[in-house]
Amino acid sequence: MKLNIGIYWGAACGGCDVAILDTHEKLLEIADMADIHLWPIAMDFKYSDVRAMKDGYLDAVLFSGGVRNSENEEIAKLLRAKTKTMIALGACAQMGGVPGLANMYTREDILKRVYLESESTANTEGIVPLEGAKNGAHELELPRFYNTVKTLSQVVDVDYTIPGCPPASMQIYSALGLIWDNMLPKKGSIIGAGDRALCDECSRKKSEKTITKIFRTHEKLPDAETCFLEQGFICLGPATRSGCGSRCIKSGTPCRGCYGPLDDVADQGIKMLSALASVIEAKDEKDIDAVLDTVVDPLRTFHRFSLASSILRRKKA
Amino acid sequence: MKRIAIDPITRLEGHGKITIFLNDEGAVDNAYLQIPELRGFEKFVEGLPVEEIPRVVTRICGV
Repeated sequence: MKLNIGIYWGAACGGCDVAILDTHEKLLEIADMADIHLWPIAMDFKYSDVRAMKDGYLDAVLFSGGVRNSENEEIAKLLRAKTKTMIALGACAQMGGVPGLANMYTREDILKRVYLESESTANTEGIVPLEGAKNGAHELELPRFYNTVKTLSQVVDVDYTIPGCPPASMQIYSALGLIWDNMLPKKGSIIGAGDRALCDECSRKKSEKTITKIFRTHEKLPDAETCFLEQGFICLGPATRSGCGSRCIKSGTPCRGCYGPLDDVADQGIKMLSALASVIEAKDEKDIDAVLDTVVDPLRTFHRFSLASSILRRKKA
Repeated sequence: MKRIAIDPITRLEGHGKITIFLNDEGAVDNAYLQIPELRGFEKFVEGLPVEEIPRVVTRICGV
């Protein structure tokens, strides 16, 4: 019997949906495996269709995007009720992703910048989005924009996670195969990824690492054969799960950690800091500080995708 | 007055809904397109090292 699935996005960019489409001809196999009952990017189902489903009607939901506003949370809870298996798809659902960087600011900081201060916005009346508005007899509502970006598992129970920004298309295809073949691992597992660090799969040459300065990409040309970290370029490979196929590394650019942490790591960014600290050439604390001072923008480097799920989580209120 | 909600609008990148109000004669009184999403890239890219910008703003739209 075919599976019944739903595909949805919260605070996302659509890249995860496109990664599903990028399975190319395998999409036909997915269509043979599953009937899709919600997929806003590609199909015309409404929230009312989902509300009309019996609880547990769906076998699986692939939910991409973080939880940025009350609508994201409401639909996440609705889909949780309608599905047997909830799968967080991609870095935003798993860890907040790039939009989770908004947790460096408050809700008011963001609304002010976007609607009042932005150089390309003409808003002489100073209007910011309202949760409720009236125009004569017409009453309209918008979701509440939260102060804090949340991950999917911070608002609903999540059964599995397919990491990546975006997840590699064939990894999504294999993960769907696990559902189809009834081969899903234990609840809470990461599926569609490796279980080693990206470093372990990297083909670049590694020897003893002794970093005395962190370089920015315009400061020197990286050697194409040697480990980025060894050359002084920050690469999140040691703290990042494999499974992406080393897309960035092979394109000549260091990892930023989109596949998230390995099992049993509470905070990917801090894990990376620890990895970095262990390769710094230093005689004393002063030397270490001098090297670390050359890291520009550490928060958005070490927690590029994981701020919302980290132990830091957000700017202090 | 009758209210028709098209929620969500589909087959595009992003979130949107359309609310249409019909008067007693059944004609459109007014229609509203609402965008119920915001992530705030305008704010959180401020001060980001310039060489990192391309890898961040590509996450505005992945379609």
